[in-house]
Amino acid sequence: MGNSPTEQPGRTGRPNEDGQLHSEKPNDDRSPAQGISVIREPARNDDDAWTKDTVFEVKGVTVCYSGKPAVKNVTMDIFRNEVTALIGPSGCGKSTLLRCLNRMNDLISSASVDGEILYRGQDLYGTKVDPVQVRKLVGMVFQKPNPFPKSIYDNIAFGPRVIGMDNVEERVEKALRRAALWDEVKDRLDDNAYGMSGGQQQRLCIARTLAVEPEVILMDEPCSALDPISTGRIEDLMAELKEDFSIVIVTHNMQQAARVSDRTAFLIVELDATEDSRWGQLVEYDETGRIFTNPRDSRTEDYVTGKVG
Amino acid sequence: MEARDTIGAFGSVDEARPATILEAPSPRYGEKLIKWVLAACALLSVLTTTAIVVSLLVPTFDFFTRDGVGLGEFLFGTGWAPTFQPASFGVLPILVGTLSTSLWGMLFAVPIGLAAAVWLSEYASPRQRKVVKPVLEVLAGIPTVAIGIFGLVFLSPLIEDVFPFMVNVPPFSAGVAGLAIGLMIVPIIASLSDDAMRSVPGGLREAAYGLGSTRMKVSTRVVFPAAISGIIASLVLAGSRAVGETMVVLLVAGASPNLTFDPGSSVLTMTAFIGQTATGDISTGSITYDTIFAVGSLLFVITLALNLFAIRMVRKYREVYE
Repeated sequence: MGNSPTEQPGRTGRPNEDGQLHSEKPNDDRSPAQGISVIREPARNDDDAWTKDTVFEVKGVTVCYSGKPAVKNVTMDIFRNEVTALIGPSGCGKSTLLRCLNRMNDLISSASVDGEILYRGQDLYGTKVDPVQVRKLVGMVFQKPNPFPKSIYDNIAFGPRVIGMDNVEERVEKALRRAALWDEVKDRLDDNAYGMSGGQQQRLCIARTLAVEPEVILMDEPCSALDPISTGRIEDLMAELKEDFSIVIVTHNMQQAARVSDRTAFLIVELDATEDSRWGQLVEYDETGRIFTNPRDSRTEDYVTGKVG
Repeated sequence: MEARDTIGAFGSVDEARPATILEAPSPRYGEKLIKWVLAACALLSVLTTTAIVVSLLVPTFDFFTRDGVGLGEFLFGTGWAPTFQPASFGVLPILVGTLSTSLWGMLFAVPIGLAAAVWLSEYASPRQRKVVKPVLEVLAGIPTVAIGIFGLVFLSPLIEDVFPFMVNVPPFSAGVAGLAIGLMIVPIIASLSDDAMRSVPGGLREAAYGLGSTRMKVSTRVVFPAAISGIIASLVLAGSRAVGETMVVLLVAGASPNLTFDPGSSVLTMTAFIGQTATGDISTGSITYDTIFAVGSLLFVITLALNLFAIRMVRKYREVYE
């Protein structure tokens, strides 16, 4: 930390306020500078990328656990049929932010969400919004593969049955095919899901999510418990799935973000002046290529080049 | 020469180092002793169990051989009057008495206990849980004689007023005894099933919520089946308590060996028979004395069968998760 802008030679024509803000007082992060302005900044030539359909519009979102902020004042738009990656060091609130998007934080009684999140234009936290309905549309894949202790078939069929969909059998096959798992499991659909390898289990969990036909899939470090080969399979899968779905992925693995995502948001852990409270903060959100090759913020550059973190 | 001196110097330094001790500094008698003390404690309970079974079986054997009561007569006879003249030793009425009070107790306690467990584990806020769970556990610790008195002086008149058909011979009734037993075992089922459901990994719940499940579906389709082995264990424990309960039935069920499942009727259970008969003035070796052990053996066999059955059920329906 504490990189002054002068330590970053060769960056011309970039406003360096971001780097300076960082070393200033923490109450500055309430101001609409920092990262937030970056998104809407029109100084870009690929304008059409910014006119894409948005799925989520996150506006000044702060999430607190028992009154302590875990992530503060995040504003970003998430686009349709893209893979959006959230990266950053541990404790930067990227998982917390992800869990706001399908109201998973509702399950933690101490969590509170301030700010506004629009899902296709509708307030996700509106009084009439039913979190159960939200989660049908915004599915989730978790860090650790968590198949139900049931057969492979029953795992996939769970969602459609619970929601009351018809043609369950068809949906199971379709979901397994989409998750590129069908050929591996078609002969043992009645076997317990725990007999599968970790990578297969995670693809089963993805298939299970696909079976309820969501519009968005949230993935919370989906490959962190998997070996490189399984990880590669899931990354390939994401590339295919974004044709039909929008994907938001939290990852610790920067190379993974670089490989799979179209856009990347970089979050950081902020400390207050007395260092007795810490929270996550969005530093920069941009096209993945830009984040990794030519970031605007020196902190992003330090992180993605491995100088810190 | 110089070099040699240096080597020699090093060598002497080496010799000056204190020798490394690899042997134990003491024989560690304490360690050996404690091993035997712990093993003895474990063996003691095995020994008592064996002793109880043997002391049950020997007079039971006498009952069937010396006293000349046939096994068929005992198991299938419908008249129970071991202390009358002429005596009859048909155990069915008191067996049915036990099954009846236990059945009514379980019918009351299983749904309520499981519902309470689901609420505690899946619905209650941490604060609500913090209050309710200890209260439940205190309830489980109330002496059964207190529950018996409560059943006799409070429940029985109350139920007689509301449902007269439940109490034919006031204040005694198998149904009310069952209800009192039920009250007693609700906390066991609720508390143990709650523990079982809470030990289901949170990841499974999250997965189900993430698919758009309501709390009810998460509870019934994911958590409950995943916790089934613990839940069945709690039901078996509760069932064993119901079958083995003595004080409540002695006070509330009356003492008439009627062969009926009618909840309004007064019944004598196996435990109540043992409880009322095994007093100080019974002479060792008499037929009445042997009868107590025969009934006790049967009770033992029933609880054993219940446990074995439960183990099979658990194996069959268990959902193993990692």
